[in-house]
Amino acid sequence: MNRIELIKRNKLLAAVSFLYVVLFITMPDKGILSVKNSMYYVSEMLQIMPVVFVLTSIIEAWVPKEVIINGFGEGSGVKGNIYSFLLGSFSAGPIYAAFPVCKMLLKKGASITNIVIILSAWAVIKIPMLANEAKFLSFQFMGLRWILTVLSIILMAYAVSIIVKKESIPFGVEIEGEKISSIGVHEEYCIGCGLCIKSSPDYFEAKNKKVKSKNKKLEETEIENMRTIIEECPAKAISFK
Amino acid sequence: MDIFTVFFWIITGIFLVVSIKKDKNKTLKSMKMAKGMMKNMLGQIIAILLLIGLIVTMIPPEKIQDYLGKSNLFISTVISATVGSITLIPAFVAFPLVGSFIDVGASIVPAVAFLTTLTMVGVVTFPLERQEFGLRFAVTRNALSFLFAVIIAFAMGVIL
Repeated sequence: MNRIELIKRNKLLAAVSFLYVVLFITMPDKGILSVKNSMYYVSEMLQIMPVVFVLTSIIEAWVPKEVIINGFGEGSGVKGNIYSFLLGSFSAGPIYAAFPVCKMLLKKGASITNIVIILSAWAVIKIPMLANEAKFLSFQFMGLRWILTVLSIILMAYAVSIIVKKESIPFGVEIEGEKISSIGVHEEYCIGCGLCIKSSPDYFEAKNKKVKSKNKKLEETEIENMRTIIEECPAKAISFK
Repeated sequence: MDIFTVFFWIITGIFLVVSIKKDKNKTLKSMKMAKGMMKNMLGQIIAILLLIGLIVTMIPPEKIQDYLGKSNLFISTVISATVGSITLIPAFVAFPLVGSFIDVGASIVPAVAFLTTLTMVGVVTFPLERQEFGLRFAVTRNALSFLFAVIIAFAMGVIL
């Protein structure tokens, strides 16, 4: 990879490094002090990072998302709300990774209320992140923010369901029964975890922190294997074409 | 290490041992996925941590107390919530960043507003949300999230 691309991919880091260079030239003592101050936060971060990392992995491995997804529909009331909270809180990845999952659930008949709960919980309530928040901002802070957030999400979800009707949500035309010929990756949704490349390097490649489909023709015999990969994708970014 | 960190380490350790005992392959596989995600964020994590050092050293605490302290709390909270809506940094590094601001004297009210809108309101991801769920849904959800982020922030300020 060339240097320009490296800088492009790490804009923030490049900008901060530049500030440090300027600082070290103009006020070296302040520069040293800044590094020292950063180191305090680096060491704090290193204490909590393994916890966040391992918790994320274990949740990903053991929380049966399919069971949760199948557990609610339009009329499942409070139970559906609880399932939505669980699904959102136990999922990894940024909020846009929740979009395709939620769209699929809407098609399956999930209510607007529950979709808002999933999206919001996905965004704000992350179990491993709670450990991180408690570390840097105190346990009390984390707990109180969690309670207030859950209350707000419930109020918000019901408010949105009153304002927005399901008819205003666009549903694309489904292509069904058509022959599966190759595999596609939604670049906006890909979180770059690389799981699909590891499982099937013949069909996927990495490009700019994202995965791209090699657009190779999909063999009949490979379809079943590909189904597992599609299911495993944490961002639900892979689909048949 | 403080008591809570030790507590989280112990809990996580127990979970990890149980998970490996139950299914080693499954555990390793999801760890690989998590590793990939972390690797992608590494540049940003390092950048933010270095930025924190700069902020703590270069910006005098009085300035932070002036702008993000107890005076004109409402304006600073709305501005923080707006900045949080636009910014796209992993929540993972937002906590130390916000923590450092509080350490040097910022009020928690704007801090909470920033933390909440950072993840719940997405200006950058708005086009994507509109495409998937329609304009009405995207506008309503984001606007209400912004509003509630400010409400949560002030409630935290009153209680803590």
